Amino acid sequence: MEIQVFIIIVLTAIIIAELAGYLILTIVQLFKINAGLSVVLPLVGQIVAKTNPVNPVVDDINAQLVVTRDALENLMLKKAGPDSAGLVESLFPGEGAKFLRRVGRSGKVVNVGTVYTRGVGILAGLGRGAPIGVAHAKGAAVRDAQYSTTEVAKLYPAPPDRRDPTQNIPKAPVIGKDPVHSPYEPTSTPGTRTRDAQGRKVEESAPPPAPTGSTESSSAPAAEEKPAAPTQSEPPSAAPARMSAKGSRPWER
Amino acid sequence: MADAALWIMVVVLLVVIVLLMQLLKRILVAATSIPPKIDAIAGVAAAASKDLDAVAVLLTTQGYIKSIRASVLDYGGSLDAALPDY
Repeated sequence: MEIQVFIIIVLTAIIIAELAGYLILTIVQLFKINAGLSVVLPLVGQIVAKTNPVNPVVDDINAQLVVTRDALENLMLKKAGPDSAGLVESLFPGEGAKFLRRVGRSGKVVNVGTVYTRGVGILAGLGRGAPIGVAHAKGAAVRDAQYSTTEVAKLYPAPPDRRDPTQNIPKAPVIGKDPVHSPYEPTSTPGTRTRDAQGRKVEESAPPPAPTGSTESSSAPAAEEKPAAPTQSEPPSAAPARMSAKGSRPWER
Repeated sequence: MADAALWIMVVVLLVVIVLLMQLLKRILVAATSIPPKIDAIAGVAAAASKDLDAVAVLLTTQGYIKSIRASVLDYGGSLDAALPDY
């Protein structure tokens, strides 16, 4: 046998042995992989089974929350009107515009907390007596006669000389003669009362008295049909639609 | 001439041995690196499956949300009656 043939045979044997060895090792690893996957697959199945009811439950929770949010937003729209977005913006910066989009409205969002000192706009909208109603009647007085100005000063920023420079509190804005968001707007029609000073119902047909600036001249509408103007010597009439109880009180008769 | 052909065949077989060893070694390395990762995935999956046991509490949360919604709507209705409209 020639030496070349012998070498070829040896090399071929080496190749076969190499192939066999590596393939056996690879097969062993594949068996390990198979065993590992057989462990993983049931766990993945458990995850799938446990997460299966999440979607409907979360969808239901979302639907409940959306209904609640819509109801509250509609209530806010009903009660606060065009200031709603500003109120939302003052509490949650950046949410005012989203609120407007959700309720299908457009316009500029004016941050009520910036235009007014925070809370003052709300208190002004509720009326002067609003703070009294927040505490129990038998509790401590909300409006302290001695320190009431201090409580009010907490709502408004302090003047520059008494302001804490570290807090960087802005000054209260000057609203001017024609405030954009003033809760007090002049009425174009005279007011009407459904009950008089004695608590009796006023008939709707009774027109309100002309605003003459004097409550003394207010008299019964029936008297307006008379040609003679009412005088102060006339006794006060108890007819409905009176705007003042002056003259009808027991000690004034 | 026959000797030269045999020697060429020897050289080719040597090159084949080297290349085959490299390729098979790479395959084996890749196959060896998979089982530890599968073990890690199994551990994570077991932990995730255990964490998901709390998903059942979502049903309780769902009930709470329903009752909260009812309370908030009642409260809103009261506010609607108590506060004047804009």
